[in-house]
Amino acid sequence: MLKELQEASQMSQTDVLLKGLEVLGDYVAAESGESSLGEKLRELERVALQHAEEIRKIRKKEDVIRELVKELKDVDKIIDRHNCDPSALIQILLEIQAEKRWLSKPTLMWVAERLGVPLSRVMHIATFYKAFSLEPHGRHLVQVCLGTACHVRGAQQLLNKVTMALGIKPGETDSDMKFTFKTVNCLGCCALGPVVMIDEKYYSDPSVDEIKKISEDLE
Amino acid sequence: MKKLTSREDLERLREKLKREAEQVKRWVAVCSGPGCHVHGSGEVAEAFAKEVSEQGLEKEVKVIATGCHGFCEVGPVAVIFPERYCYTRIKAEDVSEIVSETLKDGKVVERLLYTDEASGQKILRDEDIPYYKFQQRLLLGQHLHIDPRNIGDYIAAGGYSALAKALFDLGPEKVLEEVKAANLRGRGGGGFPAGIKWETTRNAPGDPKYVIVNADEGDPGAYMDRGILEGNPHSVLEGLIIGAIAIGSPQGFVYVRQEYPIAVKNMQRAIDQARELGLLGENILGSDFSFDVKIHMGAGAFVSGESSALMTAIEGRVGEPRPKYIRTAVKGVWNKPSNLNNVETWANVPLIINNGADWYTNIGTDKSKGTKIFSLVGKVRNTGLVEVPMGVSLRRIIFDIGGGIRGNKKFKAVQTGGPSGGVIPESLLEIPVDYDELDKVGSMMGSGGMIVMDEDTCMVDVARYYINFLSDESCGKCVPCREGLRQALRILENICAGRGKEGDIELLEELGSFMKDASLCALGQTAANPVLSTIKYFRGEYEAHILEKKCPAKVCKELISFFIDPEKCKACGMCVKVCPVDAISGGKGLVHIIDQEKCVKCGSCFTVCPDKFNAVIKLSGEPVPEVAPGTKIKKKAKGEKKCKK
Ligand SMILES: Cc1cc2nc3c(=O)[nH]c(=O)nc-3n(C[C@H](O)[C@H](O)[C@H](O)COP(=O)(O)O)c2cc1C
Repeated sequence: MLKELQEASQMSQTDVLLKGLEVLGDYVAAESGESSLGEKLRELERVALQHAEEIRKIRKKEDVIRELVKELKDVDKIIDRHNCDPSALIQILLEIQAEKRWLSKPTLMWVAERLGVPLSRVMHIATFYKAFSLEPHGRHLVQVCLGTACHVRGAQQLLNKVTMALGIKPGETDSDMKFTFKTVNCLGCCALGPVVMIDEKYYSDPSVDEIKKISEDLE
Repeated sequence: MKKLTSREDLERLREKLKREAEQVKRWVAVCSGPGCHVHGSGEVAEAFAKEVSEQGLEKEVKVIATGCHGFCEVGPVAVIFPERYCYTRIKAEDVSEIVSETLKDGKVVERLLYTDEASGQKILRDEDIPYYKFQQRLLLGQHLHIDPRNIGDYIAAGGYSALAKALFDLGPEKVLEEVKAANLRGRGGGGFPAGIKWETTRNAPGDPKYVIVNADEGDPGAYMDRGILEGNPHSVLEGLIIGAIAIGSPQGFVYVRQEYPIAVKNMQRAIDQARELGLLGENILGSDFSFDVKIHMGAGAFVSGESSALMTAIEGRVGEPRPKYIRTAVKGVWNKPSNLNNVETWANVPLIINNGADWYTNIGTDKSKGTKIFSLVGKVRNTGLVEVPMGVSLRRIIFDIGGGIRGNKKFKAVQTGGPSGGVIPESLLEIPVDYDELDKVGSMMGSGGMIVMDEDTCMVDVARYYINFLSDESCGKCVPCREGLRQALRILENICAGRGKEGDIELLEELGSFMKDASLCALGQTAANPVLSTIKYFRGEYEAHILEKKCPAKVCKELISFFIDPEKCKACGMCVKVCPVDAISGGKGLVHIIDQEKCVKCGSCFTVCPDKFNAVIKLSGEPVPEVAPGTKIKKKAKGEKKCKK
């Protein structure tokens, strides 16, 4: 019967059960007034809720696995483009980084497995180069240039100003995942220095207020 | 386009492209280099294309978005040919007028011309602007004629004729002889003669041999290689193919940093186009020579630009240097003979093959031939890429081309050679810029970064900056470099923070000489140069930090205080508004006062205080005077206003 109900209502099994309990509870409370039955039902409801919570958790796990499979499939595409060539390891990681904006642990393990190189070597590369991030990035990237030209023109002050405006330090991502704040060695636009790049745009020595305004205007 | 299977095919194509180009009455080269791009050249180029089509001029006028022209300071820049009228600081709104006046009728738009600061005169042509007049733009000058995305432009401008000459007239031995005779020296830092390196790889046992372009350009504050790769990728590719002929290599690599996405894109496109035309791949131009190229992206590590590290990275492993008992020219990528040269070195090769070693050796000094590109940056008035013949003086570059120091400040030093180089003081500005002269004074040519510093630059801070950079970038494989840099950094940080001790300078010198002798690769071997050269020429500044706890240039945060001069403060409230920590008090008519306890020394008040007041000053090595809260500002003396008018 449960199955029929479920099909008819397009609800999940748990939801049907919960709905049924709800109806029963209403009925009992309104009609019979018998307290022990009511209590039993409430007890049952509690247990059912707990089950539902468990099931939801499992479902989350399912989602996670589904996402993971998707992620690894994307990674596979990149690996296949390089014919599974271990000498292309750095190039492969760069492409994954560009697509996903970070390298997750399962990704790194998968790359090691598929290329047949030890995970330690993959980790060595992923931690050695500046381009790789082992944590997810925020939606926007803020980069203060610390090239020599910018340095002599006051990059350190600019760095302080950006830190103050965003409330996070270089290397950090804020809790809303809005900004990741980094320093770079040279953006190659020395004529504008000191310079901060926010996503694709360059700003020449903005004030704290200006940075705040720019950051607030972003989604 | 059809595959070219002979030299004649190439020449026929060139003639056809030239004829097509002659149909055009005028063309505009809109600079899209890194500097102009940041200033908004993208919109300007778009506006040109739109405006030309709207005014129905597509047949007679051509718009090309080119690589860097050099003069980043006044970007976006555009040059209109054939007159060579040069417009600076163009905005998208200016474009319609440029098209209808200049491109259509050859009339000049006065307000967009460059104004010479000395004479106040407007200058018509790019070549007459002082910034360009003293340069010899053998490489950068090509950019004005080429859309880097179009191999046709490069061929029309004479491209790949050196390749044909090398293949069909000279052959490997004579190409090698020519490059050796030209005494082309490596532009990536060391200045090693390219011809000799090529010969070593050519004669080394083992096949296949590899040729590689080093486009890692890790020197912070330098963008010469980026300028070339983005602006004229085919010149580098042609040089590489010619090198492959001389060395006998079937496979090349371009190692380019991923931080340069446009360079990667333009280079990849150049490779694809060259392959499509039969200038790369099997039987190039119908000859029996075959060669192909692959791009390898660097992932951001300064040390990976070192030759053995770079080759390890190409193999897909971490780019760390290895001991070079056997040179990479003999055992490089996968232990095969591998020849590595810098972008600019390769770009010089077609020039040498086309014009001959005799022509080339006429440019430059006795031991340094040809031109060198510098990225002239820092406190100089005209920031940009500069190409000069070897041997011109530093003064010419910084003052005649660079226009001297910004904002009426005094010149203090120039840093060349990046993190491996050193600073050069004013007394040595007359030395000719070539490999050996710069070495002699404790710096080096390096890849071409030239950072100008003024009186407001602290030399101890500069040394700390480089050592911090290097300590961050050291791969950590060898102890002298890893630990030496860490200790040097700690000492320098202490000095900058006012915790320096007597004997620190001597300790830095000792550490430096030790690192030079004992480090595995050139990163550690040269890492002490920024420290040793600043000590050599600015010892007094170190001593002031250590003994008097004073930063003469007023840069080191821990040694300075900000103070508002009660005599000068006009209570305008600007500083109160910008102070991020509310450390400044003072109302209408009252002298503003900085609470030294709260002040974080961000310098915001110093920046916003209007130039006409200049009331915020920096103090170092002296106590901050007390100002009583509630002190009224000084009113202007009676009559002062009237006199001033
Ligand atoms: C730490 C370090 C970093 C280097 N980075 C670069 C670089 O970014 N680009 C470059 O062309 N050469 C770089 N070099 C120099 C190379 O090792 C090598 O000498 C050069 O690419 C050879 O080319 P060339 O003879 O044409 O100059 C670096 C050297 C060291 C020690």
